[in-house]
Amino acid sequence: MSAEPSCHAEPARVRPPHEVAGALTIALAGRPNSGKSSLYNVLTGGDAHVGNYPGITVDILEGDVTLPSGASAVVADLPGFYSVEATVDAATDEGVARSFLDATQKSGRALVVVQALDPTRLALGLRLTAELLRAKLPLVVVLTHQDVLTREGHTIDVPALSDAIGAPVVLVNARDRATKAVVLAAVEDHRREGSDAQGSGKLDASRIAKAVVKDVGNAAELRRRRMTERLDAVLLHPLVGPFLFVGIMSLLFAAVFLVADPASNLMDKLVGLSRAWLANAFGKNLVTSFFADGLLGGAGTVLAFMPQIVILTVALELLEASGYLARGAFLVDRLLRLLGLSGRSFLPLLMGHACAVPAIAATRIVRDPRERLTTILVLPLMTCSARLPTYGLVLATFFGHRSALFRALIFVGLYFAGIMTALVASWVLRRTATKGKGLPLVLEIPSYRVPQAKVVLRKAGQAARRFLRDVGTVIVATAAVLWVLLTVPMPGSTAEPGIERSVAASVGKAIEPATRPAGFDWRINVGLIGSFGAREVMVGTMGVIFGVENAADDPAPLTTRLRETKKPDGSPVYTTRTGLALLAFFVLACQCMSTVAAIKRETGSWRWPAFVVAYTYALGYAAAVLVYQVSAFFGIV
Amino acid sequence: MMLADAHDGRRVRITSVELEGEAAAWIGAVGLHEGEELLVLRRAVLGGPLHVRTGGGGEFAVAREVAGKIAVVPLEESEGP
Repeated sequence: MSAEPSCHAEPARVRPPHEVAGALTIALAGRPNSGKSSLYNVLTGGDAHVGNYPGITVDILEGDVTLPSGASAVVADLPGFYSVEATVDAATDEGVARSFLDATQKSGRALVVVQALDPTRLALGLRLTAELLRAKLPLVVVLTHQDVLTREGHTIDVPALSDAIGAPVVLVNARDRATKAVVLAAVEDHRREGSDAQGSGKLDASRIAKAVVKDVGNAAELRRRRMTERLDAVLLHPLVGPFLFVGIMSLLFAAVFLVADPASNLMDKLVGLSRAWLANAFGKNLVTSFFADGLLGGAGTVLAFMPQIVILTVALELLEASGYLARGAFLVDRLLRLLGLSGRSFLPLLMGHACAVPAIAATRIVRDPRERLTTILVLPLMTCSARLPTYGLVLATFFGHRSALFRALIFVGLYFAGIMTALVASWVLRRTATKGKGLPLVLEIPSYRVPQAKVVLRKAGQAARRFLRDVGTVIVATAAVLWVLLTVPMPGSTAEPGIERSVAASVGKAIEPATRPAGFDWRINVGLIGSFGAREVMVGTMGVIFGVENAADDPAPLTTRLRETKKPDGSPVYTTRTGLALLAFFVLACQCMSTVAAIKRETGSWRWPAFVVAYTYALGYAAAVLVYQVSAFFGIV
Repeated sequence: MMLADAHDGRRVRITSVELEGEAAAWIGAVGLHEGEELLVLRRAVLGGPLHVRTGGGGEFAVAREVAGKIAVVPLEESEGP
């Protein structure tokens, strides 16, 4: 297997041209943490839809604006990047930005690049300015944090800076509404004057920064710096820092589940009411069953996960915008490096605990192609929220009589089992499939900032839309197919009419010899077949098999049926050992077609998603057999 | 001396970056390039990254092995970021 992600081998997919191809495109560029998100928000009012750009296969969000002249323009929000010249991989944020700029230039579409530049880190930002000028891109520089600059006791000679770099410069507060008019006027002026007189990009960033920034002194800034240093002294303390980090992350996840739970229950109830209404209005027949149990059942599963996705996105955005997430990466970098990853992989791995699909997209911040591929390949092992209903069912069925603490410990153990397996898998992958020299880690540590509510909410909205589009459609389609498999009888079957005669049951029985060593019978097999596309549907499928209505909403009757199912000799079919084996399988197997599709999208090849399905299913099966067989030696029944 | 050997609180200036072309170019674009002045703030435990502040105003986590390939000279206390 090649160590390179196949995105090198396969060119980016070309999408249809943008619907307003005649309009001016304002490409919003800038280093990470340059104030670009705030600037986008103030320019577009938070309006965001996914743009279609030739050669770009990832989402570039864009919003429509009207220029002072009345002409329309589109603001395209590029990912944060440091360089257009030093680009290693087309799939990273830098690669995406580079591809976008190259493709737009080649298409002949009217373009102005607006570089968001943090004036408190002027010399750093001017390095990117120089590169954009060298690329002969029409450029307007927007110094974003006027408020912070003033607070820090500095002033900038804007005309002198503009003369020195050879491009228009405006100084704004990116959170101020007046900014929109200033920036759009600068863009239109630049269009009118043309970019022929722009600087060549040969500039000494440090010298210019020293020449144009004046220190006017400010006691408040001194206090702020001291506060930052004090915070860092505690949060990045070699011993205290890691403990605080674990505590903050634990609180974050506890809060996500506590807040999301009532919202998920509400969604469940609404879908339950809709299903009941369908049955009442049209009676119980095959068609209403398809809509109520198939399509609405699937839609209910999707909606029940939405609150967790949205709330986790909000929590992570708050941590990122505040500046803490980069510090978390600093703390865990060494641990991840032992396993062939780095602090940059930390954010995607963390996001994977909510849903692997957005987490796989978030790996674009990992610059090293091998590390990025490794992170993508192990992400499906993280315990996403879709596993939780099955965990809950197994714990209630086989450990319902044990204390809440005991069940909580098993729950935590399952999370750690996923994390540990992912870390071991990445260690193995970095020595085999993704072997090769890694790129060095240099990670910018941003200043502490108060997150902006509008920006955080916009990101949460994007996450919700992406989840609905990428995951929701797959789950609903899977639920519909599953309904057909569970309802349509197998031709030639001699079983009793009902579920046992279905196509799914026949397949479940056919593979029983292979799954018996793990303690799985045909019913569990049917559940596993159903959850191949989306593991969320496992509990609902088991409910259908055991004739328990709405098992996904109220699994209690299902737990009783599972416990009371007997073999002909009167012994129980499902024991604690079966439950443990099922948990082992669910921890490891990638039962998620949305994840498979996301891996295909990010790697540009079916080879890697096929690899993920193969290795996680092999691991899951082996672990289930091992757990079922070994637990007998420990006297577990 | 190498950046990895600089003690916490030490002010230094980068004299060369001994990495291969692409990596050195990217690190330079990020802000760690020849002539840049640095203040070593702290380092993570067990061989973790260094936390440095540049003269350009940025702060970075720099992996220990990268810091081992950035040659620096110490500055006097009155100099640097």
